[in-house]
Amino acid sequence: MVVLKQEEMLGIGEKAVNLAIKRGAEEAEAFVYQGLTTDVIIRQGQIARSSRIVDRGLGIRAIVNKAIGFSYTNMLDSQAAIEETILKASNFAKASKPYKDWFGLPTQKTFSSVKGTYDDRIVELDSEDLVNSAFTMLESAEKTDERVSPIEGGAEASYLCKAIVNSNGIEGFDHGTIIECGLGTIAKEGNEVTPICFEFNIERKYDIDPEWVGKEAARLAVSALNAKRAETKNINVVFTQFALQQLLYYTLINAVKADYVQRGQSTFKDKIGKRVASQIVTIYDDGLLNSGIRTWKFDGEGIPQQKTPIIEKGILHNFIYDNYTAKKVGKASSGNASRAGYISTPNVEATNFHITPGNKSPEELIDELNESLLVYYLQGAHSSNPASGEFSVVATPAWKIEKGEIAHPIKGTMLAGNVFQALTNISELANNERKIGQLVAPWVLVKNVKAIGK
Amino acid sequence: MKDILSKTIDVAQKFGAEYAEIRVQKLFRTMLTLKEEQVEAAKQGIENGAALRVLVNGAWGFASVGTLDIETLTKNVTDACKMAKAASSKLKKPIRLVETETREDKVSMTPKKDPAKIPIEDKINTTSTMSNTILNYDKRIKSCTIDYLDLTGTTYFMNNEGTYIEQDKLYVWSRLLATAMEADVFTFSREEIGSTAGYEVFDVETPEIVSERTAKRAVEQLKAKQAKGGTFPAVLGPNVVGVFVHEAFGHLAEADLTLSGSVLLNNLGRKIASEIVTFYDDGLIEGAIGSFKYDDEGVPTEKTALVKNGVVVGLMHNRETAQKFNAKPTGNARAENFRFEPIIRMRNTFIQPKDHSFEELIEDVKFGYYLKSFRGGQANLDGTFQVGVQEAYEIVKGEVREPVRNASISGNTLGTLLKVDAVGKDFELWPGRCGKGQAAFVCDGGSHIRVKEVLVGGSA
Repeated sequence: MVVLKQEEMLGIGEKAVNLAIKRGAEEAEAFVYQGLTTDVIIRQGQIARSSRIVDRGLGIRAIVNKAIGFSYTNMLDSQAAIEETILKASNFAKASKPYKDWFGLPTQKTFSSVKGTYDDRIVELDSEDLVNSAFTMLESAEKTDERVSPIEGGAEASYLCKAIVNSNGIEGFDHGTIIECGLGTIAKEGNEVTPICFEFNIERKYDIDPEWVGKEAARLAVSALNAKRAETKNINVVFTQFALQQLLYYTLINAVKADYVQRGQSTFKDKIGKRVASQIVTIYDDGLLNSGIRTWKFDGEGIPQQKTPIIEKGILHNFIYDNYTAKKVGKASSGNASRAGYISTPNVEATNFHITPGNKSPEELIDELNESLLVYYLQGAHSSNPASGEFSVVATPAWKIEKGEIAHPIKGTMLAGNVFQALTNISELANNERKIGQLVAPWVLVKNVKAIGK
Repeated sequence: MKDILSKTIDVAQKFGAEYAEIRVQKLFRTMLTLKEEQVEAAKQGIENGAALRVLVNGAWGFASVGTLDIETLTKNVTDACKMAKAASSKLKKPIRLVETETREDKVSMTPKKDPAKIPIEDKINTTSTMSNTILNYDKRIKSCTIDYLDLTGTTYFMNNEGTYIEQDKLYVWSRLLATAMEADVFTFSREEIGSTAGYEVFDVETPEIVSERTAKRAVEQLKAKQAKGGTFPAVLGPNVVGVFVHEAFGHLAEADLTLSGSVLLNNLGRKIASEIVTFYDDGLIEGAIGSFKYDDEGVPTEKTALVKNGVVVGLMHNRETAQKFNAKPTGNARAENFRFEPIIRMRNTFIQPKDHSFEELIEDVKFGYYLKSFRGGQANLDGTFQVGVQEAYEIVKGEVREPVRNASISGNTLGTLLKVDAVGKDFELWPGRCGKGQAAFVCDGGSHIRVKEVLVGGSA
């Protein structure tokens, strides 16, 4: 496939910005994006499809009289389409309403340097390599236990590039790679079917282990068989990274975004310098994390990404900002403007939300627990109250821990409470950190969570 | 257009495809986001693209590109064939498709108010009215976010069997979010509006009506108490019933997920719900946001019965699963756009109304919950479901009493459907979006129902 080169992407951006200014925009910004994804899909237990998606385009922000217009197109070969896109952006800005507190697009700063975000081997691999990875995963799951059926999953490799140019002199290009493989399995015995048990690897370098993924997904499914109902009571809960990611994505991560704070939607509004979590909790938003899934040189507005302390030893230190929310309160952006390719305007978003791990291995953590729950995934976390942090979710699959051992899986158990309350009840962090979505975290033990069973 | 499509299909056949299809889209989008009274950015986009899908030696190859010249399409369809061959090397059971009638058709939309022709200024006025209405409703309202989207365009579909369809697309959608605060209580409320009819959707669901509904809920929830955790009788409103039918049952009846081992696989033709329960997934409801004429495999949509009088009578199919089940394809294959392959998606899914008035549903409940409006829902193949509720009330001695916040219900679909002991005579459909790796507009709804007992997750 013909790939646009760095100079070509920057060239498209520069031309667009110049033309927008010529057409009457006071400020302009062009974001040029290119994504090439090859994947292999597993459906109903077999490799069913291979595909390649080439998606590229240009998004323009034009500012006229402090009002913002945005327009995008994927028709980069057509000069007419690009010109129309630019004109639309200016016209939409003219039709829109001015910001009271717009202080301009960002200006040029030196970009950060990042490590472990690009691997030639991922760019060069083809669908046969991914077919092999997917097949290894399937075989590995199937030979683990005959009660296991692999259901869905696949392997995917992406090469992503982005270029940004604005009328304040920002000009940047970055590219990176991502590879992942994942498998969901269920186990069946008699009339019992387990919930889907999912495992995966995601890396910036060609460093995935499909055999482990298959084996682990199968092991989880088998260990979810013979689930019993749990009782209603307040109990200690170990959240794995999957469950934690689901719980925090809609609550804590939003609460530290400057736009939520400024709009009165965050319970952390007046809490800078105050205790918001137990003393063992330290969290960074680390846009420069080595090999981080969301590590890039610059954010969606061309501002260098950085490492921002959010919570240190339980005390809230900072919020995360984009250019607009930062300038509005006289601060500098923390490099947290995120974009969904070329089709969206920037939004405040966490980069790698990194909860610093503790010292105990997961085995040691469980070893010290008496009556507790180990919760792998949650169902319904997206229905949490994003403003208050109140949640009411199903823990599935989940296991009962008794006397330092994983005793048996449980079913039909709900967990209810408040995420921000739960943060203050974190009593242990394991040392097994891993990357899931935006989250980089270990297993976390939370005391006194309300479990609702029979 | 037809000529380019047909040349591309020829190339696929030359490279060994037993089946080949091409779907070209030309799409226009307008989007607005308002945060409080501020228009964040007025946004629009044009995108063209092609999705090429081939079946070679029983495996799928798929390619998506944003360029429509014949050289690019030829190169990509060739690559799709190669990829399919690579995937087929490890195939256990070759994929085949059920036969369908071939057809040529052109589907035009005739909106009273074509969103593509409404000036951006009008759309800014409509959404600004929404945000002003919400913000001025009560001083305890702290924020509101209004999203607006309209999408218009045309899809061109051709396959190697002789089907060629040109179909217009039209969606108008808006979402309103409001938060309120008093002392240390935060509440949150959401509404969605959506239609495939046209911009006239705002003539019925006017900005004022929808905004008031959103704001009122956020404010009333401030005085709500926490739900008790435990098992209780519950009356579910059409909005909650809809998401329950969609999440707890609907996904299990998407034939790809049924084949993946959903609990329905062993229950086809069996009674899984009480006799008063009948479910449909219907793509023919005029103007509903889940409606269309042909799906993205060129199969006409229909009204599909899923459960009749408690018995599982059908599943939702694409051509691949219909072949496996020896069934008719139901027109449920949908792709979000040219970046995606079509997969089995719901359309407008609902429970068929019966005979109870609302008063009759609640009169015998000594203590339980009236769950009126949902916040979100999710289900697993084993039938475990969760539906989060944004508006609920206690029912005490047959009367709707105090509001309750942050409740949710859970259980196993099969057990819960057997506990449905009354179905109302009213009918409402609510627009929404469903995520299954790609987004789709759907409607869910039906009538009020009563469930003898369900697990309520609350922290009180």
